[in-house]
Amino acid sequence: MKLLAKYNRANILATTIVFMIAGVCYYFIVHLVLIKQLDKDLLVEEQEIRDFIKVHNNLPDAADYKDQQVSFQKMAVVINRKFESVDILKEKDDEYRTMRRLIFPVNIAGVNYKVSVSKSQQEIEDLIQLIVSITLAMVILLLLVLFIINRFVLNKLWLPFNNTLTQLRQFNLLSKKKLELTYTGINEFMELNKAVTEMSSQVLKDYESLKSFTENASHEIQTPLAVINSKLELLMQSENFTEQQMNGVETIHDEIRRLSRLNQSLLLLTKIDNHQFRETEEVDLSKIIVKQLNNYEELIAARQITLTEHISKTPQILMNEILAGVLVTNLITNAIKHNIDHGTLEIVLQENRLSVSNTGNVLSCKPEELFERFKKDTHQTESLGLGLSIVKKICEQYDFVISYTFMDGVHTLSIRFSSNNV
Amino acid sequence: MKVLIIEDEKSLSESITTYLKGQDFICEIASDFKTAIEKTELYDYDCILLDITLPGGSGLSILKELRANNKMDGVLIISAKNSIDDKVAGLTLGADDYLPKPFHLSELNARIGAIIRRKQFGGSSIIRFNYISIDTQAKVAAIHNAELLLTRKEYELLLFFISNKRKVISKSAIAEHLWGDEMSGNLDFIYTHIKNLRKKLMEAGEADYIKTVYGMGYKFTD
Repeated sequence: MKLLAKYNRANILATTIVFMIAGVCYYFIVHLVLIKQLDKDLLVEEQEIRDFIKVHNNLPDAADYKDQQVSFQKMAVVINRKFESVDILKEKDDEYRTMRRLIFPVNIAGVNYKVSVSKSQQEIEDLIQLIVSITLAMVILLLLVLFIINRFVLNKLWLPFNNTLTQLRQFNLLSKKKLELTYTGINEFMELNKAVTEMSSQVLKDYESLKSFTENASHEIQTPLAVINSKLELLMQSENFTEQQMNGVETIHDEIRRLSRLNQSLLLLTKIDNHQFRETEEVDLSKIIVKQLNNYEELIAARQITLTEHISKTPQILMNEILAGVLVTNLITNAIKHNIDHGTLEIVLQENRLSVSNTGNVLSCKPEELFERFKKDTHQTESLGLGLSIVKKICEQYDFVISYTFMDGVHTLSIRFSSNNV
Repeated sequence: MKVLIIEDEKSLSESITTYLKGQDFICEIASDFKTAIEKTELYDYDCILLDITLPGGSGLSILKELRANNKMDGVLIISAKNSIDDKVAGLTLGADDYLPKPFHLSELNARIGAIIRRKQFGGSSIIRFNYISIDTQAKVAAIHNAELLLTRKEYELLLFFISNKRKVISKSAIAEHLWGDEMSGNLDFIYTHIKNLRKKLMEAGEADYIKTVYGMGYKFTD
């Protein structure tokens, strides 16, 4: 629920209740005052009748005017004097009229009479009806005005907030652009903007430092690795090693290379995670595939792997060129490394998908674990177990869907490109 | 041939110097920004190995300075920052090549050789080893002036061997030189290529120059 709607609901409810209470109070007070006024008139009438009786010692004529009736009735007992409101059926137009009546006793020559003087209360009722109508009209008018205010004025009042929100939504760490919020002149929004601006610049700063930390950590690790590696290679040049020593040197050398590749792969994963490969262009995957197959041509031939390519379409995929290269290379080297001698390697590139199939041993891990970091086939101990994680990470970056199937000794990795990248 | 090594890690520049000495290079070392600027201003080098992060300044500024002064020394950036930005920036500023750390000394040596050939002979130099000659521009090898039919990788392998003649080259250095980082791991497949190259050289009447150094790699020597 919008804040505005919630506020409106409370506001309208409160206003309506207040008006209703005010209306009811108003009704009773006005009613009371007017009745009092009417009663005063009736008292004047009473006085006139009593004066008449005092002078003439006789009853005046009963009268029946439009808004006033006077009637007399002989009574056995002395009745109490009282005011009352009664509904009387008027014969003229056959409807009830509310009348205010004063009943009082008189005594003429020992005979008791009940005198009743009535005045129409209709005017009062009409007046009150008018008052109620006006009150209702005011409520409706007020609601209308509130609605208009909410609709136009409040929306305008909230504009700076909405602007801030839009800017926050568009805030992108990678663009390195600080938030530029406009001056609003309203304390609450200014405070919000201040907090948001401070937070965003802090986030930018932290992100930058994290990024440089990742880079620096890699830098710091690569340098000692480079030193160890170079020293080892120099050591290799000396000619008086025993077989055992040679083996040791070679093992150290291989492990250093592995450590270095591991470091580079992890750095690549981090960089993809941090969306540091943002420049995209239309990439012709078929060209990259052909280039990579050329590169590994002799390796494929050496293991007598039968290569089949079905490049029917050459889709232009909108992605980062470096990542496209990494993607294709990882898929192809993966298919060569995990292949068997005299096996097959099939690459299919269609308008919306790329699939690489290769013969190979049954996986020793679960298929769903295939893309996890450091999950690797136990047959291939030299493998880092990061190649397919990188492939998956790249796919995630562009909303490509990657799937793995194994059938009749053939592993197939399929990538379906997302429609907005083709 | 004179090579300047601009690198703050002393043990690394020492290793490079030791390795390159055997390949007829004279090496000088600059381990900070100031020394590097002084040396590059005073002397001409056939190739400069340039580290990007240096005490006192960025290697890229040295490169900028060099090119601004119209000095066309070959520049090979050796950086631990395998970062694309640095690579692109370096190459745009006029570096000839980029080699991320850690590298194989044999790879470094081969790259320096390639840069010098490109700079000095316009890429048309012929490299010789006994009766073997390699025309690096036409990318053909010949023995006794008769063309040796090699596959592309065999040609690259021969060139890599001759560039690092009389040095032990590890299998992983060979694998990475020929196929890049991705194919390292099990390196048994290299054996096939070595065997084929050896066979072709011997059939053309050369001696068996490719010596297997047990447990380590290979050595191209007479």
